[in-house]
Amino acid sequence: MVKNLGVFTRALRNVARRKVRASLIVVALSLSVAILISIPTGIMANQEAAEQLSSNYDAYLANMETEITTAATLLEVSLSPGFTAAGFGGGRPSEGGFGEGGFTGGFMSRESFFNETAVSNITAIEGVAAVIPVLEKSEGTLVTRSTQFGEFEFLRPEYTIVGVPLDDSDLSDYPVLPSEIIEGRALVEGDSGVVLLSENNTDYFGVGVNDQVNILERDFMVVGVYSTTVTQEMNYLYMSLSEAQEITELEGQLSRIDVYAETEDLVDEVSDEITEMYPEFYVNTAESRLEAITSMAERQVDLVDSAKANLDETQSVAYMEIGVAVVATSLIVLFTMLYTVRERTQEIGVLKAIGFSNGNIMSQFMLEGMILSIIAGLVGVVIGMVGAPMITQVLLTGLSASNSGPEQAITGRQIGVPGLTVEASVATPTVELLLVVFAGAVLLGMVGSLYPAWRASKTSPMEALRRE
Amino acid sequence: MNDLALKTENLDKLYKLGGRHVQALSDVTLEIQRGDFLSIMGPSGSGKTTLLNILGCLDKPTHGTVYLNGENVTNVPEKNLYKIRKNKVGFVFQTFNLMPWLNAVENVELPMEGTKKPKAERQKSARELLEMVGLSKRIEHRPHKLSAGEQQRVAIARALANNPAIVLADEPTGNLDAKTKYEIMRLLGKLNAEQGTTIVVVTHDSKIGSRARRMLFLNDGKLLKKEKKGAHFMKPTCPNCGKEIQPDDIFCAGCGKKL
Repeated sequence: MVKNLGVFTRALRNVARRKVRASLIVVALSLSVAILISIPTGIMANQEAAEQLSSNYDAYLANMETEITTAATLLEVSLSPGFTAAGFGGGRPSEGGFGEGGFTGGFMSRESFFNETAVSNITAIEGVAAVIPVLEKSEGTLVTRSTQFGEFEFLRPEYTIVGVPLDDSDLSDYPVLPSEIIEGRALVEGDSGVVLLSENNTDYFGVGVNDQVNILERDFMVVGVYSTTVTQEMNYLYMSLSEAQEITELEGQLSRIDVYAETEDLVDEVSDEITEMYPEFYVNTAESRLEAITSMAERQVDLVDSAKANLDETQSVAYMEIGVAVVATSLIVLFTMLYTVRERTQEIGVLKAIGFSNGNIMSQFMLEGMILSIIAGLVGVVIGMVGAPMITQVLLTGLSASNSGPEQAITGRQIGVPGLTVEASVATPTVELLLVVFAGAVLLGMVGSLYPAWRASKTSPMEALRRE
Repeated sequence: MNDLALKTENLDKLYKLGGRHVQALSDVTLEIQRGDFLSIMGPSGSGKTTLLNILGCLDKPTHGTVYLNGENVTNVPEKNLYKIRKNKVGFVFQTFNLMPWLNAVENVELPMEGTKKPKAERQKSARELLEMVGLSKRIEHRPHKLSAGEQQRVAIARALANNPAIVLADEPTGNLDAKTKYEIMRLLGKLNAEQGTTIVVVTHDSKIGSRARRMLFLNDGKLLKKEKKGAHFMKPTCPNCGKEIQPDDIFCAGCGKKL
């Protein structure tokens, strides 16, 4: 291999001798490499986001279904047309505008309250096993957002106060309070002056178990922290109904009554009774909730499907861009190397005259092409690693997981379930991709040099020398 | 046969130039003894370079045979010709044709690449060759740092790199000034005399040609019958006054000018 060492050094010197030309090849090839790195990376990031979103959504729906079926005897009574309990938290609070979550697929509603006198009347209905009045009130900051419909002031909810009757002995028999206590204890009958916080709440208020927390200018003691996978409930904090009514200044008001029928068979009957008694109330049975969730699921599937189709389309554009980059680069390498060969005809003639074989000449030019490609590959990998998100943004305008939320990147708008988000995945090229693309660049450089090198090797020494 | 470095039999070379056939060589038969110093003279267009290219296996004759060291090389396929060019022939060009990005010693080493000689030995023999052509002090210089005459010396050393059967020089003095021309011819003469190198010089310059042992004349592709002894080689004279000088003289004894 001693012989090749000389060849290599010579090739290096030849490359260095023609700096402008070498730079041209390096720039073209390295940009191509950067594109080759960035585009698949961008696509992967978006695909990941799409898959994550879709699986999050599946999990969410499955969770909903379980909750709904386990509460088969539950009737939710409220002034809102959608669900209020069991996770859908329809009361995305907004003072006459759109909720922060954007369009929420028809389940968005204002928080509406009604007088608690309804409780005793509903309790009197035959077939009713238990009645649990609930007050849900979101608190947060008022923000102004200008939309195409004008300026809207709305509440960005930071936490939701949930008041439940802690003096009610029925409470322990029905799944009204969160069950997954991760710290401290659950709320129990007779509790007062205490709250149960969600994990999110502890972050927001910066308190833990046994700490005092000030909510709407009243101090409460944190007795426990619960965890939930239901996105809508992540900011719920639980306290006694009466205290909730007092601090929210909604004395005697409720936002929801959870009515439990004695048996599943009685659900429809009870529902009819309530509707007759209070026509303004919406009554959600397990059945209607299931129906709603099914239609919601269908809509979401459509949305995800169209998002995926959009992704596919963007991908084919991306592959076309990759193809163009590869072809353009090959051509640049090809023509630059051809020019080099032409220019060096005499040199080739001399080398042949002094005994260089066709193979020697060919490998010399291939080696030069390869050295250039390796340099370009390295430069390109660096550019690609640093600039992948930027390049992706320029080339794949449809996909931009790296800067805006991936949901938006995929669907162009937010998925209809408020708070259902995926973690933003940043377009980071994998080591495998870097290696593959680097190898590809070297290959590309070699393919581009192949014909010129072959031409060089076939140069007739006599013809070459005649150009003197 | 064995003492013949090169022999040709009835060489013909036909070119097609713009639809017309041009006979560049016609029935060229010659023999070159081992250790000969031959010049082939002729006006431009007489076919000198064509002949030289055929002798050096850069080109093939249309008809006829070339024997190098007794071996018929006419029918060696193109892909194997490089071996002959590498090992049996050394080329010296009018324009030197050194690789500008290699220094003197690297240029001389170049033809040894791909031979079995180890790297260190290659370098050693390249240095020795440069010493032989009188450039021992400039071996690390790149061509652009060397004078024309020095460059041609490097080229001659390169031609000798693989100890060829024959050195073929195509107008080796064509790009040199008067003084350097004779220096180069003297060098070739010295190599021929001391190393026994077989040399063929092609030139249109009779003063240069006459420095060889033997002069052949080519006209219109045909080798003329007449053959001259290179009087200058045997009895060198001063280029200025024509008086006889010794090969190693630096100044002419007659006119006192530097040779």
